[in-house]
Amino acid sequence: MSKKSGKKKIDEGVPGKKLRERFTELLELPKELVLNLPKLTIVGNGDMMIENYKNVMEYGKARLCVNTGIGVLKVIGAGLMIKEITSENIIISGEIHSIEFTW
Amino acid sequence: MLLLRLWNYLRGYVIIVVEGYFIEKFINICTHRRILLWDVKVQEDQMISMRLSIKGFKHLRPVVRKAKCRVRLLRKVGLPFLFNRYRRRKAFFAGAILFVISIYAMTSFIWSVDITGNKELQTTQLEQSLAKHGIRTGALKYTVDTDRAVTGMLLEMRDISWISINVSGTRVRVELRERKKVPEIIPNDVPCDIIAIKDGMIKQVIATQGIEAAGEGDTVKKGQVLISGKIPLKEDEKKFKMVHAMGTVQARTWYEASELVRLTEVEKLKTGKVVNHYTLNLFSWKLELFHKKPSFENYKAVEVKKKLSIGENLVFPIEWVTNSFYEEKLVNAHINEEDAKNAATGKAYAKIIEKIPDNAEVVKKDLKFVNDETGLFAKVMVECIEDIGTSKKIGGN
Repeated sequence: MSKKSGKKKIDEGVPGKKLRERFTELLELPKELVLNLPKLTIVGNGDMMIENYKNVMEYGKARLCVNTGIGVLKVIGAGLMIKEITSENIIISGEIHSIEFTW
Repeated sequence: MLLLRLWNYLRGYVIIVVEGYFIEKFINICTHRRILLWDVKVQEDQMISMRLSIKGFKHLRPVVRKAKCRVRLLRKVGLPFLFNRYRRRKAFFAGAILFVISIYAMTSFIWSVDITGNKELQTTQLEQSLAKHGIRTGALKYTVDTDRAVTGMLLEMRDISWISINVSGTRVRVELRERKKVPEIIPNDVPCDIIAIKDGMIKQVIATQGIEAAGEGDTVKKGQVLISGKIPLKEDEKKFKMVHAMGTVQARTWYEASELVRLTEVEKLKTGKVVNHYTLNLFSWKLELFHKKPSFENYKAVEVKKKLSIGENLVFPIEWVTNSFYEEKLVNAHINEEDAKNAATGKAYAKIIEKIPDNAEVVKKDLKFVNDETGLFAKVMVECIEDIGTSKKIGGN
């Protein structure tokens, strides 16, 4: 009984999202576009490109918070600078110490 | 990235400083309105600098009002601003346009004709006939028809077997090959003799047609008949049968040359003093700059010409000529006899080798030193065996 209910819970969890995810995996579609996920590209600890973001929440020399489809992306570092910003992507340069995802 | 920066410079951009509490909001509105921002730097608290295009800057007013920020223009960078600054200077623009036009005009003429590959033909003669076909310095490039010039040249000058004319930039490259002269061949049905082309002593005569007119051991002079094409008839000695004489005549020939043995040689030593004459050639007139006669008597003149050109093919009719006169001191140097003799012998040999034809076989070399009133001479004599026969029409020249 307990086993059965457990299984049912996973299936029912978030059915729409789950189905979509499975579908994109099946068709090998780019996840960041279909599921609206951010795509991060980092070169060393210096340059970082964030694609598919929503908006900038906070910007300072030591901290950059960006709102994305799966929550807030927090980049902590030193001497952070936005090299380029468009509605699709942000290019950051500087010394990156940590990257965090929070809700 | 460099290309992007160059592009931005060409398009022009502004550096602004934004102050306010909602800087993030400002950035977000900008990105929403598709205003590209780059090099966003935090200067101080609530103060950031950024760069954006001129077009973006023009659309900034509503953004500023919405974000409640203050925007200060820091700097204008790029070509459009530069142009704007010089907008009123008509002469400057006129000059720039004139420059472009003059470069275009100058490069639409031919300024140099290079002829290569001629040995016998005179370059000046070739230049003259090329000029007749429109290829000359100063001709308009677009009027030159190289194909027609090629056919024209080939028709006009029989000594050219192949010619190519290429216009590259302001330079015309003419390359040609000369026709090798074919020796005159007397047809087989025309009667002829074989005569000597030079003096010699006959070693062997093999007549395949005609009668031998000289035998082994005979000394013959230039022009003497060696194999006759006139065969007397048996029945009547006064009548002849005319044939085309053929055969080979091997003969010993001698070549001689002498050279003075020089025990002292005048050596020329550079003293280091130089007088330079500069000349500026513009089109066809020469502008001599500060020409002063060299104060010394013995000198070696060296001329260096430099043509103004962009790359290899864009040549302009401006030439800078430097005539350098290097002072020389004449010094008499003594050479030991052995070396002097060797040098003289070498020179004498060189003289002989020029005279010996390719088909001759060198049999003997002789070297003698002869004392004359004028000095000691190295005498070199070379004995060869060669074919000295050549055909000549009977009755002709």
